[in-house]
Amino acid sequence: MKQFQKEFDAFLEHFSEENPALRDLRLKAFNKFKEIGFPNKKWEEWQFTDFSLIKNSNFRLSWNSELSTIPKNIPGRIQNTYLILIVNGHYQPRLSHLPNEVSVEEGIKYFKSNPEVYSIDNSSNPFLSLNTSMMNSALPIYIKNNIIIKKPLQVIHLTTDLSDKLMNHPRFNFHIGENSEATIIEHYIGSTSTSYFTNTVSKINLEKNARLNHIRLQEEDRASNHIADTSYTLDRESQLEATSISSGSKLFRHNIKLSLNNEGASARINGLSLTMKNQHHDQHIVVDHASDSCQSHQLFKYILSDRSSGVFNGKVIVRKKTKQTNADQSNKNLLLSPNALMNSNPQLEIYADDVKCSHGSTTGQIDSEALFYLRSRGISKQKAMELIVSGFAKDIIDHIKNIDIKSYVSNHAFTWLEGSMKNV
Amino acid sequence: MLEIKNLHAGVDGKEILKGIDLTIKPGELHAIMGRNGSGKSTLANIITGRENYEVTSGTIEFNGENILDMLPEVRALEGIFMSFQYPVVIPGVNNTYFLRAALNSKLKHRGLKEVNAADFMRLIREKLKLVEMDEKYLSRAVNDGFSGGEKKKNEILQMLTLEPQLSILDETDSGLDIDALKIVAQGVNNFRNSERSFLAITHYQRLLDHMKPDFIHVLIDGRIVKSGGMSLAQELEQKGYSWLEA
Repeated sequence: MKQFQKEFDAFLEHFSEENPALRDLRLKAFNKFKEIGFPNKKWEEWQFTDFSLIKNSNFRLSWNSELSTIPKNIPGRIQNTYLILIVNGHYQPRLSHLPNEVSVEEGIKYFKSNPEVYSIDNSSNPFLSLNTSMMNSALPIYIKNNIIIKKPLQVIHLTTDLSDKLMNHPRFNFHIGENSEATIIEHYIGSTSTSYFTNTVSKINLEKNARLNHIRLQEEDRASNHIADTSYTLDRESQLEATSISSGSKLFRHNIKLSLNNEGASARINGLSLTMKNQHHDQHIVVDHASDSCQSHQLFKYILSDRSSGVFNGKVIVRKKTKQTNADQSNKNLLLSPNALMNSNPQLEIYADDVKCSHGSTTGQIDSEALFYLRSRGISKQKAMELIVSGFAKDIIDHIKNIDIKSYVSNHAFTWLEGSMKNV
Repeated sequence: MLEIKNLHAGVDGKEILKGIDLTIKPGELHAIMGRNGSGKSTLANIITGRENYEVTSGTIEFNGENILDMLPEVRALEGIFMSFQYPVVIPGVNNTYFLRAALNSKLKHRGLKEVNAADFMRLIREKLKLVEMDEKYLSRAVNDGFSGGEKKKNEILQMLTLEPQLSILDETDSGLDIDALKIVAQGVNNFRNSERSFLAITHYQRLLDHMKPDFIHVLIDGRIVKSGGMSLAQELEQKGYSWLEA
């Protein structure tokens, strides 16, 4: 905690000219973080993950002045997309490329007109408070009403070339106005061998009849820690298609909250987690059906090899007096090694009658019948396993509509697969 | 082509095959008949190399080579094929992609050029016609959402595509209606030539009526107790198996 206090003090000193209201918020958030402390095994929602590495690693903040040269070829670049580039926590407007209809506002301006977005009052998540206290790349990305942006917008958060153990607290606000439509890729990439800590918060807001495809790619370095809090708020008749593909970080914890706040909103949230060696991926999803005729579909898959471990905790809440709710939730896991471990806990909390809800969870190994079937056709064991495992991941990837993103993701998943199957 | 000598084998320490001798020459179609549990499918699984079966004694040679130590995929590349009694559903693996991967694996093994996607489509469309299968099954995952009959046709489609020297038909007639049975049998008959051999495993005479095997063997309790021609199948249809039991 001492180290976090030291960095927080340095942060306040560095930004001493900052707006007083924002400064107050930071102080309040840091005090709340100190009060809550780091999660421990006794916290039910956090019990399967050990955060001591983050607590004890002495991460420090990154300053703009010490930014090294930015690589010419930005890794992870997806074809035919706009770009917002952030390197080691610092936004690079000159290297970014945006359509006219999208504005990246100054954080302070957005904060002044939307203070509620930054509220920490209803959250017991210490990492949200920590993020709020030191958010350094607070980027509100604002799409006005009645705008259709065909080309996807790729936000790359790159961590590269570190000599010190750094931490970053990125904060994104994606606002999709009424009747507007966009595809946003939120992409975390790390290429460094030094341990670091990314603690990110994304607030995503869909106004009436807005449509968003949100692709979240987590390809942090395997020596890193990635903590994320993503919350979606959906207004009337809005539609969300979210896909989260995660293969990075030694420790990954992702809290997802989906609030269906008005009639006829619908969302699909899919996730694919690919883990190897000693990686640990922990995802908690809360879907809150707070209005009538809303739909939510969740499909989360994990492929775990070596000694890696995964946690899935999904909760669907259907509030009292809501009507015509349609919700399903599915978690399917494939263990590629006898030492891999999965902990799955799907839950439904239904307080209304007019609902159609289902949930389920399965964890298994590669089907030996399927393996023999393929081998009996002359396909090698290695290739047969690759086919079966990529077949397992296929429906998640197939939900990605944009062809360039889909091709990037399937290449990435296949490269991961080839690497992980060598050890099986 | 296939020579099985004094084969004893089982699973989990339980002996199922108790001394099988069987020789299949090029161009011949042999049928094995017998009740459930007599060891018919065990024999098919051992020839194709399924894991968990133990061969305690005896040999299986294919084209003069001992195959018992070969991996299942190597046996397949050498020319052994089995039409599964219960074809396996493989979610997310496209049927066309799978068929092409299997064919290319075989072409590569023979030192031949692999077939590209366009040429493969032309080839597979021809083969589809032979088993009267709809093209829609090509774009599905392997056996996913196939009816019982379509699954069996898909097996025969694979046989026609991979052109094995020895085809084992494990209860290919089960779950087929009369029309599908005719199509499947026709597919096999058209595929027969002086180089290719077949081992058909069945409970019933009806498949054999369409295929006209050269030899019929009756398997009871892990042993071949009687061998003969088509007349043996007719006799079994009338009298059942009990007259052959000791």
